[in-house]
Amino acid sequence: MNTTLVHFLDANKNVILQQWLDSTLAIFPERMGSGTPVSEVFSVALEKILSELDNCDNNCRTALDDVTRILAIQTFQPSKALSMFLELKKILRQMMRKSNVADISIQEDVFSRIDLLILDAFDSYMSHREKIYQLKVEEGKRRVFMALRRVEA
Amino acid sequence: MSKYVSKMSELKKELDEKPSVLKGNYSHKDWWDLPVEFHDGNWCFPGKPEVLQELGFANPRKWAATDADWQLPSDWKKTISEGLQSRLKQYRSMKLFLDSCIRCGACADKCHFFLGTGDPKNMPVLRAELLRSVYRNDFPLVEKILKGFSGARKLTPEVIKEWHMYFNQCTECRRCSVFCPLGIDTAEITMLVRELLNLIGVNNNWILGPVANCNRTGNHLGIEPHTFVQNIESLADDIKELTGANVSPTFNRKGAEVLFITPSGDVFGDPGVYTMMGYLLLFHHIGLDYTISTYASEGGNFGMFTSNDMMKKINAKMYHEAKRLGVKWLLGGECGHMWRVVNQYMSTMNGPADFLEQPVSPVTGTRFANAAATKMVHIAEFTADLIHHKKLKLDPKRNDHLRTTFHDSCNIARGMGMFEEPRYVLRNVCNTFHEMPENTIREKTFCCGSGSGLNAEEYMEIRMKGGLPRAHAVKYVKEKHKVDSLVTICAIDRASLTPLMKYWNPCVAVYGLHELVGNALIMDGEKKRTTDLRENTMAGFEDGGDDEE
Repeated sequence: MNTTLVHFLDANKNVILQQWLDSTLAIFPERMGSGTPVSEVFSVALEKILSELDNCDNNCRTALDDVTRILAIQTFQPSKALSMFLELKKILRQMMRKSNVADISIQEDVFSRIDLLILDAFDSYMSHREKIYQLKVEEGKRRVFMALRRVEA
Repeated sequence: MSKYVSKMSELKKELDEKPSVLKGNYSHKDWWDLPVEFHDGNWCFPGKPEVLQELGFANPRKWAATDADWQLPSDWKKTISEGLQSRLKQYRSMKLFLDSCIRCGACADKCHFFLGTGDPKNMPVLRAELLRSVYRNDFPLVEKILKGFSGARKLTPEVIKEWHMYFNQCTECRRCSVFCPLGIDTAEITMLVRELLNLIGVNNNWILGPVANCNRTGNHLGIEPHTFVQNIESLADDIKELTGANVSPTFNRKGAEVLFITPSGDVFGDPGVYTMMGYLLLFHHIGLDYTISTYASEGGNFGMFTSNDMMKKINAKMYHEAKRLGVKWLLGGECGHMWRVVNQYMSTMNGPADFLEQPVSPVTGTRFANAAATKMVHIAEFTADLIHHKKLKLDPKRNDHLRTTFHDSCNIARGMGMFEEPRYVLRNVCNTFHEMPENTIREKTFCCGSGSGLNAEEYMEIRMKGGLPRAHAVKYVKEKHKVDSLVTICAIDRASLTPLMKYWNPCVAVYGLHELVGNALIMDGEKKRTTDLRENTMAGFEDGGDDEE
């Protein structure tokens, strides 16, 4: 990753993180309070994701997985769930403007990394939705099995 | 004025700036204006008409929570109003609970559903307020005084929808009650509201189906006696194959010393059957003179989630059968709400059981004074006493393939105050045990998120949210101590924690306590053991390993 970008992210990490966390928790219709398990998970995971934006390795993927696992059981639409990454772009754009980071290639670099994150998050989100349906099917199958046992006995 | 009193400017700042669940999109509205929206994943299928007809329950019809019109009976308001008034007269505790809340908010962040959903109506104080607001409006004098400042409101179909949603996002676990300075039992408020809703046909098939089955055949699954026997005998065959032990349970045998009653999930459910195998091994090991009834073939009691009358009726079979068979006392298996019913309601509802004797362990001679009224002993107490008196031959190394933690089942922990016995048993049958964080165990245990009849598959999303605090605590010990086995003493836990772990903590399996006892027991004349009751290889006992030490 470009060194200017690294410096920019390091220097503004706490502010970016706080804004990103606030905007993500605001996705929930009830606005999740701090101190809830959901906000705890988000606060740890978003920090990991942000600090490894240049190279999303296993740690970063686990963090992404933790986030999408929570998002996948909410009532809002998948598009709204993943809009949290668009919010990150918005926050970074504003911060870069304020910090006079004008180099387009730097912006493109960071935004393309976020685009890749969105794709990873989409895969992960879908795997959790599929898991939910798999659990439903497993429970349904067990009930059918029990009904058959009663009939066959 | 005290120097510690907050300044007005600080309070304003606090209100404006501090994140709050009551703000967000609804910051300009009152709590009762928050919308109630049913959609896939947040409602349980309603009771089938034929199930209601079988039980003689009100308003059998086909409907769904997503319908605009719930087809309530024409006189539904009168039914609810009169139902509430008669119950307030009948249960003084209820009046106390409704009148005495000071809205201190101590309960607010203690509810697993609130923590998992962030929905303010899942704060126990606000959930109870859903009823309390109607109660205030229903009583003219109270209304005159309080209306306009205390949130009294009219009973409307929207209120009924709200009750259905939020009193089905309460598992009657009573964690909030532990923190309530006035001792308000929110579980009893939920029980009352669900009873009122049943009067107008607003219900849940996952509860009423088992109630009807229990009413007809004696167990939740509707298993008839011959199938019930057949299944336990097939478990005995599996035990013979795995261990060489020839356990031989008897059924409906008159004159046995002990009648053993356990949830039917132990007989038919996976992983409950392995716990059942553990009981059978244990009873054979100590030569217990026991029998199993095919009529009292269910320890669980979904009547508790329906109405007091139904709870009493379903529970009655335990004493009926004990009397018919002429046993001396009752021994109960691993279950949650069964023990709330047995420990707190049974002797009042269906007792006194003066035809039974105070339970005495035939092996150790221990007199279970705590069961003097009910005449029913919990299996964890019974086994802990056996271990304490060194009456069991155990090899905890046989559970070395498992790194365990223990989930206190809500009704056992908070309903019975039983914390140490299961831990004592667990420590004696396995070598690796780690506690979850202190504020998530014992009397502060977090619910599995699916108790009180909410274990329906269509309700999976809400269950996963409600179970998040428990899953979070398991994750902590999983990461810190490499825990891979969640041990519990409740049939609903075993059924519901399994998907909860699959979702939140893949690789953590769920076990019943007596399954681990069964693994560890050294049976007389047993064959060489290489696998546990699930036929998983035991560490250090693979072919060529030594289990004779």
